[in-house]
Amino acid sequence: MQLLFTGFGIGAIYALVALGFVLLIRAAAVVNFGQGEFAMLGAYLMVIGFNVLALPYWLSIILSVLLMAAFGVVFAATTYWPLRHRGGLPVIISTIGASIFLENLVLVLYGPEAAQIDGLFDAPGIQVGPVFMDSQYLSIIVVAALLVALQYAVFEKTLLGKKLQATSQDKEMASLLGIPVATMILITFAYSSALGGIAGILVAPILFVSTGMAGLIALKAFAANIIGGYGSIPGAILGGLSLGIVETLGAAYISVPYKDAFAFLMLLIFLLVRPQGLFGERIAEKA
Amino acid sequence: MKLLEITGLVARYGAGDVLKGLDLTVDEGEIVALLGSNGAGKSTTLRAISGLVANLSGGIVFAGRSIVGLKPEAIVRLGISHVPEGRRVFPGLTVRENIALGASNRRGVSRRQLAGEVEEMLGFFADLRRLEHALGWTLSGGQQQMVAVARGLMAKPRLLLLDEPSLGLAPLIVQQVFRIIADIRARGTTVLLVEQNAHMALGVADRGYVLETGRLLVSGRPDELWSNPQVRAAYLGGAAVAG
Ligand SMILES: Nc1ncnc2c1ncn2[C@@H]1O[C@H](COP(=O)(O)OP(=O)(O)O)[C@@H](O)[C@H]1O
Ligand SMILES: [Mg+2]
Repeated sequence: MQLLFTGFGIGAIYALVALGFVLLIRAAAVVNFGQGEFAMLGAYLMVIGFNVLALPYWLSIILSVLLMAAFGVVFAATTYWPLRHRGGLPVIISTIGASIFLENLVLVLYGPEAAQIDGLFDAPGIQVGPVFMDSQYLSIIVVAALLVALQYAVFEKTLLGKKLQATSQDKEMASLLGIPVATMILITFAYSSALGGIAGILVAPILFVSTGMAGLIALKAFAANIIGGYGSIPGAILGGLSLGIVETLGAAYISVPYKDAFAFLMLLIFLLVRPQGLFGERIAEKA
Repeated sequence: MKLLEITGLVARYGAGDVLKGLDLTVDEGEIVALLGSNGAGKSTTLRAISGLVANLSGGIVFAGRSIVGLKPEAIVRLGISHVPEGRRVFPGLTVRENIALGASNRRGVSRRQLAGEVEEMLGFFADLRRLEHALGWTLSGGQQQMVAVARGLMAKPRLLLLDEPSLGLAPLIVQQVFRIIADIRARGTTVLLVEQNAHMALGVADRGYVLETGRLLVSGRPDELWSNPQVRAAYLGGAAVAG
């Protein structure tokens, strides 16, 4: 039970990053290899705001998330926009380039030493029956659940959400209806980047904040996406959660040093046995 | 009064010219049919009007204003609504949502007003009523066509561009679609109608143009086109009745 709780918490992080990853695939057909860097940057902004500038914790969070949303727009304008008519591969390469650039930028500006941040709450956690709920893991799960609910509400209940969906399903048709397609794509980038940033901020108190976290998180998000079903939103969430749980159980019962290998293993198993993932894509790209 | 005036329109994809100097006008209140065989450049003409063809020269003037070089979003805001080839209903959205998004070109439409207008459309296209919560991809071709036209009308356009609305539909549904086109004009909307089904199109149109590989072959009133032997042989023969 304890392990399930921990796995669920770490899985929620993967789910958030995977969600941002999937949204970009759907809205802009962008396979973003910089998704892990979004989390890394979010965590570093938190380090700078809270540790370095000594801003209040909540203010640091709000500023970091807002800055990450703005960063998403900059990221889109530089890595995606100039190449948007060139098809998938040039943009993929451009996001790989951006991710390398961002990691090195952080190394230059902040330095290679890993940083640590405090958790959301001072209290270590609460005991519920046999399970000790660590306050940070609990925060992760609650925030992730709220974000998923919020996203669902926006996508399913608002006109903006419908326009975002329409843009992801058929950009040319959306433009013929007068939907500002470029704005919709920028909104998606901003949201995706903010989601990654929030994941980074949430996971920072558990991991050390370092440039290495980016690649690791990106790999997990990618694996979550394949496990859940490529391009599927519920798949990203379930894929992330199941990955977190498998990884935690694996570390506990099989081997701690090989913890990260379980993601690879699960990815390989799914690619071999069920390449369409848990949720095979039901909606074709075009009607 | 001229609503749309196209002069010397040249459109290119890659190397070759697809439209080679097309002249075409649509007057306010008319239904104009644009006919021609597959690959003649009919869809390209509509796409050029809507701002979807990057590489073009010549003039396109709508309601007295040049629209060449404007983005599709801007052109639909001026009042040209395009129901494209293949219907392009959003597969993952419901009928109701698809229709509602048709009003995206108009600013300041309240939620309530939008819901009222969608209701009106569901009244007009009565067959869609029971499907209002069905997702786009589950619809038949004829149902998709209704949704696409309803969505196009939600823009409250002055000019409606319809690209092969009868394609792939059963004869009974085709007749229904053409009745709707006549109704749309009766409500005051001007229509530029692209069709391979010349018999049906000239049945509702005031004037027609016949395109052949990017050039105008002939234009005129339906009876003039019917009596032109060249046109009859090429486009208005038995084959055109299909669909
Ligand atoms: N996106 C495109 N790229 C290259 N060629 C195209 C494209 N779209 C249409 N064409 C070519 O332009 C010509 C006219 O096409 P189109 O306007 O679709 O004809 P129609 O609608 O009359 O059947 C055809 O030869 C077609 O192959
Ligand atoms: Mg065509």
